[in-house]
Amino acid sequence: MTRTGPWRRLGLGAAVAALLAFTLFPVYWMVSSAFDPGADHRGAAVLPEGLTLDHFRYVLDTGEFGRYLTNSALVGLGTVLLSGLLALFAAVAVARFRFRMRTKVLVMVLVVQMVPLEALVIPLFLQMRDLRLLNSLLGLTIVYLAFSLPFAIWTLRGFVAAVPQELEEAAYLDGCGWWRMFRSVLLPLVAPGLVATSVFAFIVAWNEFVFAFVFMQDDAKYTAAVGLHRFFGQYSTDWGAVMAGSTLITLPVLIFFVAVQRRLAAGLAAGAIR
Amino acid sequence: MRALRPWLLLAPALGVLAVLLFWPLVRVVSLSFQEYGLRQINTGESNYTGLDNYREILGDSFLWTTVLPNTVLFAVSCVVLTVVVGTLVALLLQRLGKTWRVICSTVIMMAWAMPAVTGTYVWIWIFDPLNGVVSGGLDAVGAIEPRETNWFTDRWSFYAIATLNVVHHGFPFVAVTLYAALLTIPRELPEAALMDGANAWQRFWRITVPTIRPVFAVVTILSTIWDFKVFAQIYLMPGGSGANPDVLNLGVWSYIQSFSRNEYGMGSAIAVLLTLLLLAITVGYVKALAREGDQL
Repeated sequence: MTRTGPWRRLGLGAAVAALLAFTLFPVYWMVSSAFDPGADHRGAAVLPEGLTLDHFRYVLDTGEFGRYLTNSALVGLGTVLLSGLLALFAAVAVARFRFRMRTKVLVMVLVVQMVPLEALVIPLFLQMRDLRLLNSLLGLTIVYLAFSLPFAIWTLRGFVAAVPQELEEAAYLDGCGWWRMFRSVLLPLVAPGLVATSVFAFIVAWNEFVFAFVFMQDDAKYTAAVGLHRFFGQYSTDWGAVMAGSTLITLPVLIFFVAVQRRLAAGLAAGAIR
Repeated sequence: MRALRPWLLLAPALGVLAVLLFWPLVRVVSLSFQEYGLRQINTGESNYTGLDNYREILGDSFLWTTVLPNTVLFAVSCVVLTVVVGTLVALLLQRLGKTWRVICSTVIMMAWAMPAVTGTYVWIWIFDPLNGVVSGGLDAVGAIEPRETNWFTDRWSFYAIATLNVVHHGFPFVAVTLYAALLTIPRELPEAALMDGANAWQRFWRITVPTIRPVFAVVTILSTIWDFKVFAQIYLMPGGSGANPDVLNLGVWSYIQSFSRNEYGMGSAIAVLLTLLLLAITVGYVKALAREGDQL
């Protein structure tokens, strides 16, 4: 397996170069156009004409992009907190208690995850309209909560199940009530799982487009993904501004992914192989 | 009291799922049997018309000549390309030394991290007919006349760009998952095959593929589901939001019928058809998988 002839090395090098080029080119093109003062007529110039922050200034000041980013962050944070809490309760229920219909509940959670959410835009739009939650960050948060919950329940179930029952029993012997045990024993031990599901929930909320696009009619309530649409003209597009906005949206997610990549890969593998 | 505790813990989560996933699912089916327009929205009354919506959609040649081929061909090519590229990258990662492996997997994460919306905008910008890098580059070598070329108006080139976008975003998940699966193959297997004189191609098909077949199945099913219901990557492209009917897929068609034309019943019927299509595909995959499992 470990023959390293010169041809083999050359082949590997070419493959790596192709991979890096294909993967990084769009990222490079986005970031470099965002800083390029002449972005709009850039053409095939590999390097930007110069470096400027004008596009960022424009989208943040004139384009009110700061507000959209704040909206996105609020919705994301709300989704993370609510889904973490609800999923943790549900995960404890299915991992720690034996009760009738336990398996049925688990399978049902798995099945609802398969429903294409795009198919639910119309009924959810009507439902939120009746509840007067259109155009509200809370309404959007509630919808995203439903998206991230099934995955969070399944992931956390594994983490809760992995905590040895003896630890809990030791806490009871020390005179803790159930709630105290939950807070001081279970919660710290499943924290890595909570981090994983939080990252997932935040990214779902941060990146989502269709529902935010349909629900938010007042542009003060736009999320960043929808707000970006505003820089698109019918006939001409301010590409420097669009790329600056895109960079601002992509950056937090990018940092997140690269920071957690090891755990993400390990977690995915565990989930897929099991 | 103790018997009630799990249900108390489950109640909030199940409540949310019931109200936000289950009830809308019932509702979309019920809407699909109605002619539901602005009047019904404002009064809240129902207006059942039986199978009319389905009859109209299924009897429309637009579905059979444009929307369905767009949806299916696009999804199939995206899934095939995503899985092939993902597999190749996973095999590449396996053959690299530690440093390059870390570099490559970090870079892959970047492609994955790019949100669908911004990724779509970047690809549009790259293929922008006037100032984009591709038309600029081709113009410089004299291959095209930029003002006479617009890749977004032609159905095939429109979808080629969309495919590039979806594959770029989708292959990292496949690569990372398959790479992790490759690590679980016992070393002795390929080594024994090597001793028996099997070449790399044979080792891949006879050992790697059968051993990690379940993981292949999972990434293929998930990619299929994702690629059939692609919305933002089509809707945000020039002409994708209805201006160019040639490029509609099921998801965007459903959206336009509902929110641009206010025919919510018709839009719901299309959404139901999309859901049924996905359901049929998933069931088909699972059955095929179960059959193979029996043989083993």
